[in-house]
Amino acid sequence: MIVTENLKKRFGNFWALKGVSFRVEEGETFAFLGPNGAGKSTTVHILTTLLKPTSGRAIVAGYDVVREPKEVRRRIGVVFQDPSLDRDLTAYENMLIHAGVYGIDRPRINELLEFVGLGDFRDVVVRRFSGGMQRRLEIARALLHEPEVLFLDEPTIGLDPQTREKIWRLLESLDVTIFLTTHYMEEAERLADRVAIIDGGRIVAMGSVDELRGIVGGEVIYVRASGDLGLGERLSDGRIKIEVDRAVEFLPKLFKLAEERGVEITEIECRRPTLNDVFLHITGREIREDGGDWIKSAIARRLRG
Amino acid sequence: MRAFRTMVYRQLKRFFRAKSRVVGSVSNSLVWLLFFGLGFSGMVRGYMEILAPGVFAMTIFNHSLMSGISVIWDREFGFLKEVLVAPASRKESIAGRIFGDSIVAIIQGVLILLLSFALVRMDPLGVIPSIVLGFMLAVAFSSLGVYVAMKMRSMEGFQMIISLLMLPIIFLSGALFPLEAMPGWMRCVAYANPMTYAVDGARFYLTHRSYVPPTIDWIALFVFSVVILFIATISFERETIE
Repeated sequence: MIVTENLKKRFGNFWALKGVSFRVEEGETFAFLGPNGAGKSTTVHILTTLLKPTSGRAIVAGYDVVREPKEVRRRIGVVFQDPSLDRDLTAYENMLIHAGVYGIDRPRINELLEFVGLGDFRDVVVRRFSGGMQRRLEIARALLHEPEVLFLDEPTIGLDPQTREKIWRLLESLDVTIFLTTHYMEEAERLADRVAIIDGGRIVAMGSVDELRGIVGGEVIYVRASGDLGLGERLSDGRIKIEVDRAVEFLPKLFKLAEERGVEITEIECRRPTLNDVFLHITGREIREDGGDWIKSAIARRLRG
Repeated sequence: MRAFRTMVYRQLKRFFRAKSRVVGSVSNSLVWLLFFGLGFSGMVRGYMEILAPGVFAMTIFNHSLMSGISVIWDREFGFLKEVLVAPASRKESIAGRIFGDSIVAIIQGVLILLLSFALVRMDPLGVIPSIVLGFMLAVAFSSLGVYVAMKMRSMEGFQMIISLLMLPIIFLSGALFPLEAMPGWMRCVAYANPMTYAVDGARFYLTHRSYVPPTIDWIALFVFSVVILFIATISFERETIE
């Protein structure tokens, strides 16, 4: 449904994308996971025909995004990172205008507004909508022309946890190929069949969530014990970290070993690696969890000059 | 044509939703007509006949040139992306928007024209051709507004260019004083101003006084508005979000 080959994009002398290649199959939910400035939005803008790549090729729904942008536009629905609604018009009017510029003869506006839970707000001016309501309206709008691929650029950025949960449930119920970008790892873990981790304009890892976890190793067990167990590495907080393939098989052995050595285990924690661990493992940095932190550090940087 | 109609609908809907805008836009022209016009009439006999068609054109000119600012708002609030990513012809969308703004400008022009009839004796039959001329004027300057908005991108840049253009275009159009009162060189510049032909034409049909032959008014205004509209649609066609 989406194929890109060595996609590059340069802004001035900054390379936002340094050669990105991937495929998204029909019916799949594919996530681009990475920190701010990794090139996620640039990729979305190229795939949705708003930016021309400096080099490389991208095929969306069977058409080249540079040579046949109109054919691509007809077949995709887009929810951009920043809202793109007419705030002075009502939900219904926004949908009606969308139907107009997409040439839909009998738009299922009311049906879709009901679907995203905005049936009662049909005639309310969008200016009065909360962030989550605007997002849902944008999703309904993007679905109005029955696209083959739905693009979502940071669909839950800046939304509170309950609202995110609502949007996630809405997206899970959709039966369409989805390309989404996010810097929330739980969003990618929850929604995506496959994930590409992107950093500095390059895909650094790609696969299903389980495959990506496999890069770090199996699972990690943290143990606090009264003595030495003779395995794992000791952490600064006194705990022992043991990397194993399958914790369920290893734990009985661990208890047996402790008994043999006469060591008492006081605390034990098993963790499957998260996508954040994967990112950390590959890049040595964390994906910033919170957009606010990023802004704060940007402001701090500016203040420091 | 669907995208064209849709964008006309959007501009009209937005205008009528903001009722204060309707009142605000007409009141400014009313100030010119009443205070400036009546004041000057004491000095120049029959000045109201000269001014009334001019204020009609000014009302349309002001609104249409300023309407470009909505393109900048759309960029800020993201709606522009919705249009850019749609499969509809961009030329058609922007032309629809320009026509929608032109209709809004004409509504205001007509409103002020009807009010002028209370103050000035004019030919009621002149209203119809004046509306057509006014519409062409509106298309010319809405297109210019859109073009400037696309080139400048920022609110400040747009406002700077617009305020730079606003007064010279008004003074060099004959809206406030007739073309024959201008020195020769000034008149030469006025001929390059599309608004001149709208003012002169409207004056011809409303007060039966004019400087340029009406046929020339029609042709010149038509050519100007088509050319500027064309330039605006081409530049919108090429628009990216870079």
